[in-house]
Amino acid sequence: MSKNPTIPEGYDIQREQMLDFKVPEQLLKVLDADGRSDDKNFILTTVDEVFNWARLSSIWPVTFGLACCAIEMMAASATRYDIDRFGAGAFRATPRQADLMIVSGTVTAKMATRLKLIYDQMPEPKWVLAMGSCAIGGGPYFKYGYHVVKGVDLLVPVDVYVPGCPPRPEVLLEGLMRLQDKIRGRKGKFITPKWITDYAKKIPYRK
Amino acid sequence: MDQKEIYELLAEKLGAAALGFNDEGVEAYADVEPGGIAEACTFLRDDERLAFDQLMCLSGIDWDGYDENGKGKSVKILGYTDEGQPEVSDRVGEGDFGVVYSLYSHSLRHKFTLRVRTPRATATVPTVSKIWTTAAWHEREAWDLLGIKFEGHADLRRILLEEHWVGHPLRKDYQMPAMWDNVPLNGQAYNENPFPKPEPTPDQPTGDDPAEG
Repeated sequence: MSKNPTIPEGYDIQREQMLDFKVPEQLLKVLDADGRSDDKNFILTTVDEVFNWARLSSIWPVTFGLACCAIEMMAASATRYDIDRFGAGAFRATPRQADLMIVSGTVTAKMATRLKLIYDQMPEPKWVLAMGSCAIGGGPYFKYGYHVVKGVDLLVPVDVYVPGCPPRPEVLLEGLMRLQDKIRGRKGKFITPKWITDYAKKIPYRK
Repeated sequence: MDQKEIYELLAEKLGAAALGFNDEGVEAYADVEPGGIAEACTFLRDDERLAFDQLMCLSGIDWDGYDENGKGKSVKILGYTDEGQPEVSDRVGEGDFGVVYSLYSHSLRHKFTLRVRTPRATATVPTVSKIWTTAAWHEREAWDLLGIKFEGHADLRRILLEEHWVGHPLRKDYQMPAMWDNVPLNGQAYNENPFPKPEPTPDQPTGDDPAEG
């Protein structure tokens, strides 16, 4: 949201300036004095980029299977699809060591309190991936599901929605990569965005 | 043994409590008075010619909208609207409740089905959990979802829903809850954005802008 009207919407001027960063000649001279002739033998980056790269490369999901989508989640973590290629294969049995909650299945009224507890126990930064129709909006239980929460976003903020009933493992991997894109573009401190806290206040369960 | 022969043995034992036999449908069944169901089941299990040692299933039925002869028309079941809010109606359910017992004999390898009918106001049937232990959980489920009471059951609690749930959800006149225990059960319209993003103001950063810290 740049104030400068000449810069188009969505144009990340800071990132462009960073990519156009020229190595100072004085720095090159120092390296030459040490006997290094290869001027490409170092990496320039920012702390944000390194942290984001580390975070997106090792997303640890919490072991949290709810319904048939969990079978596809298990298939995604097995040998054929191998979610570990993306660094998200370490399913943790405790929310205290997890970064990502894959809500894989139908969230019933009974499970809603437990889901909220698990989400609250996860340390920041944390992400939620709603997998399948039920977790997105109630799915087939929208009309007559007296026991189903019509979308997990009524309980916790959701980062990525993966549609399907259930989604195939490829789709879950695609959703994971979109989440990695989201983490990659993040800058600054990991504070919960205000629109999420505002929305969370409106959720009746939080009262 | 043939279904008809099983019923004749049962009718001989029960007398007036045996109400009739029907083999026109997919599966033959016998109608029994609710008061005679315990006696009928004990006879079916213990008699050497029948030896029904397993209760395969115990199901509850809501005959809302149908009379005793099975005539009537189906009623509209209340759900949630497209906006996700519970549908409301003043209609009170009428029509009886039923319980169906599906029996199987492992030694003689024959099946039989019993059916009882109980008025909606009382909705009480004697338990068979003392005859087949597996009926204890089946009867708890029928109580939980349909509200059929089983007289003499040792532990008639809800089995699927929470203990303090209000109502019996599989009754045809059940109204869906909008909220239960502070958990929202009403939905949201599909065209509504669940995350309305406010306009960013200088003093309160939204956190979405990458330029902000």
